[in-house]
Amino acid sequence: MTDAETPSRSEVLQGTLEMLTLKALTLQPMHGWGISVRLRQISGEVFDVNQGSLYPALQRMLRRGWIRAYYGDSENNRRARYYEITREGRRQLDAQVAEWERSSRAVNRVLRFAPQGG
Amino acid sequence: MAWYHPLRTAFDALVRRGREERQMDDEMAFHLEMEARRLMREKGLSEDEARYAAKRAFGGVEHHKDAVRDERGTSWIEDLAQDARFGFRTLRRRPGFTTVAALTLALGIGASTTLFGVVKAVLLTPLPYGRPEGIAVLWSSWKGFPQTWLSYDEYEGWKTDIAAFSNVGIFSDGAINLTENGESERLRAGFIDRDILPILGVQPALGRGFSAEEDKPNGPNVIILGHDVWQRRYGADPSIVGRSIQVNGRASVVVGVMPAGFKLPLDFGATGPTMVWLPLGADAESNGAIPGPQFQQGGGNHGFYGLARLRAGATIAQANKQLTNKVAQLGEAIYPKEQQFRAFSLGVEEQVTGRLRPVLLVVFAAVGFVLLIACANVAGLLLVRGEQRRREIALRVALGAGGQRISRQLLTETVVLASLGGALGVALAGVGVWLVRKAAPAALPRVAETRLDPWVLGFALGVAVLAALIAGLLPAMQATSVAPQTELRDGGRTATAGHARLRWRQTLVAAEVALAVVLVVGAGLMIRSVVNLFAIDAGIRPDGVLTMRLSTPAAWYPDSVRVAAFHDELRRRVSTLPGVKAVGLARILPLASEMGDWGLRVEGYTPPPNQGTPGDWQIVTPGYFEAMGLRLVQGRFFDDRDVMTAPPAMVVNRRFVELYLRGRPALGTHVRIGGQDAKDAPYTIVGVVDNVKHNGLTREVKAQFYVPQPQFATSPGNTSRTMTLVVRGDRDPKQLIGPVRSVIKGLDPRLPISEVRTMNEVVQLAIAAPRFAMQLLGLFGVLALVLSAIGIFGIVSQVVASRTQEFGIRAALGATPRNLLMLSLGSGMRQAGVGLVVGVAAALALTRTMTTMLEGVKPTDPATFVTVVGVTAIVAIGASLIPARRAAKTDLAKVMTG
Repeated sequence: MTDAETPSRSEVLQGTLEMLTLKALTLQPMHGWGISVRLRQISGEVFDVNQGSLYPALQRMLRRGWIRAYYGDSENNRRARYYEITREGRRQLDAQVAEWERSSRAVNRVLRFAPQGG
Repeated sequence: MAWYHPLRTAFDALVRRGREERQMDDEMAFHLEMEARRLMREKGLSEDEARYAAKRAFGGVEHHKDAVRDERGTSWIEDLAQDARFGFRTLRRRPGFTTVAALTLALGIGASTTLFGVVKAVLLTPLPYGRPEGIAVLWSSWKGFPQTWLSYDEYEGWKTDIAAFSNVGIFSDGAINLTENGESERLRAGFIDRDILPILGVQPALGRGFSAEEDKPNGPNVIILGHDVWQRRYGADPSIVGRSIQVNGRASVVVGVMPAGFKLPLDFGATGPTMVWLPLGADAESNGAIPGPQFQQGGGNHGFYGLARLRAGATIAQANKQLTNKVAQLGEAIYPKEQQFRAFSLGVEEQVTGRLRPVLLVVFAAVGFVLLIACANVAGLLLVRGEQRRREIALRVALGAGGQRISRQLLTETVVLASLGGALGVALAGVGVWLVRKAAPAALPRVAETRLDPWVLGFALGVAVLAALIAGLLPAMQATSVAPQTELRDGGRTATAGHARLRWRQTLVAAEVALAVVLVVGAGLMIRSVVNLFAIDAGIRPDGVLTMRLSTPAAWYPDSVRVAAFHDELRRRVSTLPGVKAVGLARILPLASEMGDWGLRVEGYTPPPNQGTPGDWQIVTPGYFEAMGLRLVQGRFFDDRDVMTAPPAMVVNRRFVELYLRGRPALGTHVRIGGQDAKDAPYTIVGVVDNVKHNGLTREVKAQFYVPQPQFATSPGNTSRTMTLVVRGDRDPKQLIGPVRSVIKGLDPRLPISEVRTMNEVVQLAIAAPRFAMQLLGLFGVLALVLSAIGIFGIVSQVVASRTQEFGIRAALGATPRNLLMLSLGSGMRQAGVGLVVGVAAALALTRTMTTMLEGVKPTDPATFVTVVGVTAIVAIGASLIPARRAAKTDLAKVMTG
């Protein structure tokens, strides 16, 4: 059932999505679509599906104060909502990256030892 | 994370909700448009293809919007508001259900809130004294007198020698006439020594307390007014302090006014509390005591109430130990062994509310039971409703509502219901508190101080929340176990799942019946107990008797001849009133106050060594015996020949004869009273009356003697100026109040009248506490039965409704209406049976706590238990019968076509 499936996948992706978005925003402020383009470039098409899930994530990070939103003119002279990373967001990004590296190291270790143990 | 970000986004979301929504729409539209353009540019798609592909890649727009809204951080507030609105709407759609459920909760909440108000006023609110925990009330005790007065020697002794006391004071009570502008009023007065107010830690609101110069024999005439008297008689005039007023016909200076609500410790629960205070003005000499901490044999005359302030850190237990040691140290020479003398103290809280505490706690527990039953009933109702809403819920689950959200919504609905019930309950509690204040017998200390204060309202709120949780949790849990596939596929008729839920209801109903049984047993025991109290033969006939107190002050009636003449004339005039059958006067009324005793010398009787011949004394006029309805055993009552100059005559009670005249003829025996001079003529017994339970219906009767008032005035010599008029009529005694008052006014308009009561009121006051408990437990028992009946009615209805098809088929296959009736009756009876068994077992365990409240009935009284089981069973059958008869009328054709 839908209720049972969606949360599990979004939970897995959520943390990564936030981290990648913050990473993208360290380069320059971007609007939502711009971020999605950038994410596709970094992740290699993984974010091609369900692009809309970016917006709840942006809203969540706004609420936590990791990013700020403002209105600016876009490429084709339309007003668009731009997001920029805050100092709190940068701290958060560092922490998340560190955490991610720690856990991926752990995963790697498990993968390395698994053949011998099992 | 900075604290203000969540607040700001939440604020933005709530206040600028419209703008946020627009921005979100724009942003997503912008995204879709940019993506479509990119696809046209990079992949060469047509515009339509590109738009479609962009939408696909984006995912469900509405879904993402919802997710964004959730992330705004206000969704719980919005959900709550939405749930509450939804709750109100669904409740409004089912007015019948809502009314029953809200009223049930209101009853439970209202009753428990009222009772909490009483418990708070009586047990939780400190007495209006300074550090009341450090105040002790002092008592003496000896054979036949479990709790009685102190003597002056004891007062001095305890003050000097008991280390646990930092101060000791004594007081007594009586009455004074207050005359203002020719109008006089009889007021109960306390005679307090100068230490009483400091011991109580209370200062007069105006002026000062008594000084040492004022508190001595023949000191100046001074008075302290109570707040009520000050307001009522002197219009709350602050300049009253220092002014002179007429007290007992003499000028007295007002030195102080006490704060509102001030009472002496023994005035709580007293029918006539003292309202003004005068200096006691006692010393050793004027009391026949030995000055200083010296004792005479027996301790001397006992006539004072005692109060003590505990030294910092000292306890009542220490004080009592020191008192016991001191009495032991004084030894046989002072207190002979046979006297069984004991001195003890009670904490002032214990003194004032100690007797009421067990009663209140039992009643409070009972009201808790009523609340539980109410919650169980509402839970049952919600379960039925949950049953009816399974399809609705299943549909919403299928449409994507989370399980948590659904149970939260159901719980919110219950909270809305509990809020309704709580609001109604507070209104009910308002009525309840008003009733309690109005109807509480004065003999119940502090009950009339019950108020709906913030604490009590807070309690109501807590109870409402608790009720919502108790009543709502189970149905909410049940509802979320809904599986949409089965519910929607087979039309909700899932027999097995239904049975599991039915079992919950059955358990609830059994629990309700069990709780009701406990309550009704408690009520039944109290009713039997009060019936027993009423059935006790007090030795008087209170029906049709009116009483009122009046006093003949020495200023206007200087000697006993004039007092006697006044009484004779009063009796003569009252006896000519229409409807009056008998009239007389007595020193004190039976069951109204404790009677003291005199030492006697009874002709031919020698008491055992070191024991006296005590007799409780009652001073009466002719006509009293007939008016009060005493029974003559032998000889005669007093009549008009027993005047002051006639040979002294005495009437004694049966107990007197049993104790002092064993086997000898009572009539003609000579008796001398106390210090009656040997050269005075002794009293001669002219009659024997049956015992009167003067000191209390359940107290042991002591030897008692009656003498005519004018004769007692000459020998041993004591004019009883305050007497109670007793009038027996052939009609409602209240109708006699007016005529009797005008007779008194016609005789002497200055004489104040007080304590106008029927004798039945006096008797009822004497058993106020058990009656109070009986009325409340009875009320709660009936409530419990009604609520359980509703519960049983509900479950049988549900069973009948869910089995209509089955019954229809059975009827078609040849089952008689009677078979169907029994079948559906059984479903209610089983629960009732289980409830009865559990309830009886619980009651057997719980009623033991009532032992001290019961009179003449054991807590496990079989008759009560059998009756209660019978009554509950009848109620259960009755409640099942109504829906069961519907089952019996089941018609297959209707079931199949309808």
